[in-house]
Amino acid sequence: MKKKQGENPKIIVFCCNWSVNPGLRLSVFPDEEETTFKTIVTMCCGRVGPELILEAFTRGAWGVMLAGCPPEECEHDGNYKARKRVLLIKKTLEQFNIEPERVALEWFSTGESDKLKKSVETFIEKIVEYGPLELSS
Amino acid sequence: MAKPKVAFYWNASCGGCEEAVVDLAEDILKVVEAVDIIFWPVALDFKRSDIEAMDDGEIAVSFINGAIRTEEQEEMVKLLRRKSGLVVAFGSCAHIGGIPGLANFWNRDTIFERAYKEVPSVENPEGIFPRTETQLGNESLTLPEFHNTVRTLGQVIDVDYYLPGCAPPPESIMDAVTAILEGKLPEKGTVLAPDKSLCDTCPRTESKPEKISIKEIKRPHEITPDPEKCFLEEGIICLGPATRSGCGERCINANMPCRGCFGPITGVGDHGARSLSFIASILGLEDEKKMTEEDVQGLIDKIADPAGLFYMYSLPSSLLKRRKMV
Ligand code: SF4
Ligand code: SF4
Repeated sequence: MKKKQGENPKIIVFCCNWSVNPGLRLSVFPDEEETTFKTIVTMCCGRVGPELILEAFTRGAWGVMLAGCPPEECEHDGNYKARKRVLLIKKTLEQFNIEPERVALEWFSTGESDKLKKSVETFIEKIVEYGPLELSS
Repeated sequence: MAKPKVAFYWNASCGGCEEAVVDLAEDILKVVEAVDIIFWPVALDFKRSDIEAMDDGEIAVSFINGAIRTEEQEEMVKLLRRKSGLVVAFGSCAHIGGIPGLANFWNRDTIFERAYKEVPSVENPEGIFPRTETQLGNESLTLPEFHNTVRTLGQVIDVDYYLPGCAPPPESIMDAVTAILEGKLPEKGTVLAPDKSLCDTCPRTESKPEKISIKEIKRPHEITPDPEKCFLEEGIICLGPATRSGCGERCINANMPCRGCFGPITGVGDHGARSLSFIASILGLEDEKKMTEEDVQGLIDKIADPAGLFYMYSLPSSLLKRRKMV
């Protein structure tokens, strides 16, 4: 389904407090008004359980991105857990007829806010193609 | 003093919950002595009109099993709700959706297509499907509407207590009945089973290593599990960590892993998502740092039907509730 006229995509980005968030605050927040995504700061991407991702969808999110530290850079090894969970949730979402691409996990080091911005933009472009997630009742 | 009136009713269920009442064996005599069973379609010949003729709140407690699939079930439970002081959702299907809730991976049209056309034992060249009204000469025959989505009892009427299990074990039925008769009831909305996880009471917990790492997923028919070992240790998915205790570890004692019929422990909003989460966490845990994305995907691919497995009993009560239909 294509984007409906006048409807802004609703994208949630869960950002790791330790690596991604500080840079992001400097680069994105000043013009937050114009961003089509909202960030939720988490203490580690490993703390973003599948329940949170599903809840975002039931509350109208079109897509959910987890921004975590690259493999060797997480102090809590949470990113390894996040990777496994995201892959398993993608497979599960397919059975719910929900495009698995609506969930993404990307790695960013401290200071890579440009890369983050680009990734988020690419993610949004793709999600706009899918349009809002209209769950059946 | 008149004995309190009790009703039993069934909806989308298998009949196992009725059997569970019969399984009370001699104890059922104690129940019959203490209460007056005024409605129980499986065993007694009372009609809907008998219930309609009663005063509101006249029934002390209705034990209602089964999920809600049809218009008739919805009407009946709304009627029983009005006539009852207390409503107990009896068994997994009423509590969290149960096995009939797995039908939420389809909808009315796809279910009718399958059941009335595609199955090899059916011949239906004219494509006749059930409908709510059929004209037969001057007569009109009616059937209740078959809803698109299966709902839990609590999604349709106000429920006072939940008695979990597929089916609830006789001991917990007796405990619930006794608590009601003695007026020793917990807070409204309580699930009448211990607030601990099945792992807490599982006989295999003791030998369970502190850290489990699943190297390879196995399905129960692929190996003969060691009856002493935690299923997870052997790579068999067991939903014990997210599931409420109280069943008497029935499946575990039959050397089968838990599939979650008692529903989630308090604080877990989505039984399936929580189960998915802990399984993903321990998948290849030992080598998780060395694994590539492909390695992880390979491990995950061994879980043939994650949605059906993690939501086996709880799909209608989950966050997504059903498959998205086009
Ligand atoms: S995971 Fe299953 S087998 Fe292992 S301790 Fe928990 S309930 Fe028992
Ligand atoms: S082991 Fe799990 S599936 Fe089996 S009866 Fe107990 S709660 Fe239900």
